[in-house]
Amino acid sequence: MDRSPTDISVDVQLDLHRRMVRIRLFEEAAGRLAESNRLPGFLHLYVGEEAVAAGVCGALNDDDHITSTHRGHGHLVAKGGDFNRMMAELMGKATGYCKGKGGSMHISDTSLGMLGANGIVGAGSPIAVGAAFANRYRGRGQVAVAFFGDGSTNIGAFHEAANMACALHLPIVFACENNEYGEFTPRDKTMAITDIVDRAAGYGMPGVIVDGMDVIAVHEAAVEAVERARAGGGPSLIEAKTYRFYNHHGVQNLGLKYRSDDEVAMWKQRDPIFTLEDRMIENKAATRDQFDAIWAELRADIDTAIAFADESPYPTPDQIMVGVYTSMTGAQ
Amino acid sequence: MATVGIIVNPNAGKDIRRLVTPATHTSDVTKVGIVRRAIVAAAESGATRILLMPDRHRLAERAADGLDLNGPHGECTIEIVDEPLTGSRFDTIAAARRFWKEQVGAVIALGGDGTARDVALGWPDAPLIAISTGTNNVYPSAIDGTSAGAAAALVASGHVDIARVGRRSKRVTVRIDDVVLDGDEERHVSRDDLALVDLAFIDAQFVGARAVRDPNTVRAVVAAVATPASTGLSSIAGRVHPVDRWEDGGVLVRLGFGDGRRVRVPLAPGSFTTLEIAEVRPLALGENVEIVGKCVLAFDGERDVPVSERGRVNVRVDQSGPLLIDVEATLNIAARDQRFDERTQSTTDGDQHGH
Repeated sequence: MDRSPTDISVDVQLDLHRRMVRIRLFEEAAGRLAESNRLPGFLHLYVGEEAVAAGVCGALNDDDHITSTHRGHGHLVAKGGDFNRMMAELMGKATGYCKGKGGSMHISDTSLGMLGANGIVGAGSPIAVGAAFANRYRGRGQVAVAFFGDGSTNIGAFHEAANMACALHLPIVFACENNEYGEFTPRDKTMAITDIVDRAAGYGMPGVIVDGMDVIAVHEAAVEAVERARAGGGPSLIEAKTYRFYNHHGVQNLGLKYRSDDEVAMWKQRDPIFTLEDRMIENKAATRDQFDAIWAELRADIDTAIAFADESPYPTPDQIMVGVYTSMTGAQ
Repeated sequence: MATVGIIVNPNAGKDIRRLVTPATHTSDVTKVGIVRRAIVAAAESGATRILLMPDRHRLAERAADGLDLNGPHGECTIEIVDEPLTGSRFDTIAAARRFWKEQVGAVIALGGDGTARDVALGWPDAPLIAISTGTNNVYPSAIDGTSAGAAAALVASGHVDIARVGRRSKRVTVRIDDVVLDGDEERHVSRDDLALVDLAFIDAQFVGARAVRDPNTVRAVVAAVATPASTGLSSIAGRVHPVDRWEDGGVLVRLGFGDGRRVRVPLAPGSFTTLEIAEVRPLALGENVEIVGKCVLAFDGERDVPVSERGRVNVRVDQSGPLLIDVEATLNIAARDQRFDERTQSTTDGDQHGH
């Protein structure tokens, strides 16, 4: 009767919390910069969905792979992305992850196993299948995770990826972020099913639904799915029911009214970061002061990243063709 | 008015247990099919009004789509009750409460043990047919929608007296007294709750993905029903000290080192583990058990309520669960009474359909 709790340790809870706060602060800062016209191009913010990237990436090893979406900053941050290089990339600076030539929707860090955000809806899943195939071929025990949205499951690439992954029994986890909207269109206008997980059985893999606003729930499912894949159990699909607090892109989003204020407010009440903080304080696993210190520390990192990006140069015209093509020679 | 209510839990049969075990996935299409069969059979068997629980997946709407229940054998209306939706288990609770208010004669509920529990939370005395579409299915049974719909209508219309086919089920009645933080203030809270199969005390800090995946976290189980034919938490008590659904009393099983018994249990479908049994105590109906200290309470197999180290949980098994309708007995009585015989218009007395 006196056995200690054996579920997720406090260290892991704090790690998941830190990943979520890093995402939140980066995205909030990016939103403010975009509002003041300091960031070029589109910006798809991940605010509200932090528990999914943090919960899944917290279950991965450093050398595991992920592929991402057009809403990809959160995935890179959760995999350990460097604020300085991320912010510089968003500002189009030469010190950015893609040397300032990719921007928000191509941000990546292959050294962290993050194989790229992707502006093409559904295009990340086949890349993850390729990574999973390579991982098994090389026999290094690595796992690939494909992050994708609900809308992308209406795209052929998703179905081909899921079919091939299951046919080849690859070490991959399909992590669906079901935020109920494809851009500005409600899910029920574009598909006849409600749960993306209903698609999983059609390919012969297990699929589960988790509360995507609860990082512990996501993490528990991710740990099981990743361990299963690493042990040779094959693909699985996790559908995280989640919500983006901001609009499809940017913050104000052209003033389009496609979600009710009540709906947005209801989801904001379930903020994944504050939910975890409240629970950890109740459990006496952490204190409010401790959380305040974490927020302050990470805010300082964001300020540093903005300053770094501001001070960085833009790429010079002679760099325009550099990094566009590669040759098989020396391919890793 | 012979009113049948149908509840379908869109979330049943889709949780994490599909990942960690070979548990069955129950798709929306499967659920829609069962509900549609139940609707048709209920109208055929004497229901004059069918109420459907609304849900965010629009399962009820899809099940009723295009059905015309008015024909030579009677007339029946279908309504999806107007309740605000949360997309959570509270939709089931609200629908059961509404059916109670609407004086529904029989409720059909699709889901697992958790769904049946939610029905009982909304309507403690519900006359219930529970169809298993969940993960743990100790309380509900594998009944086809056609048979369930027919039996529900026969009971709701009074053609088969519920006193002959309904039986009061047991439940685990729970009282939780705890202290919670409200900002910086401590606040005492009390709440009543129930389980229809068992209540487990889990060494955990979070509700998380709800399923209990680590057998070493199970401290104790209080079971109203404990069958070795079950899977999940209920199988612990079931394999140590079986308690029949209709047997008076329940059982308390404490886990840990104690009496030396080591028991193999399927803690989830298709997944076995060994547990150490510290104590087995049969419980008489109404006998109180108090367990104190930090844990997460798992109701009918799912983590649900965190309790602090200052919390006190009082539990008893009593006979105040829903009125469980025996579908086979209902259909047998109806067949013997020739309720299914086709009658000509001239010999139909109107009583055939209860209106």
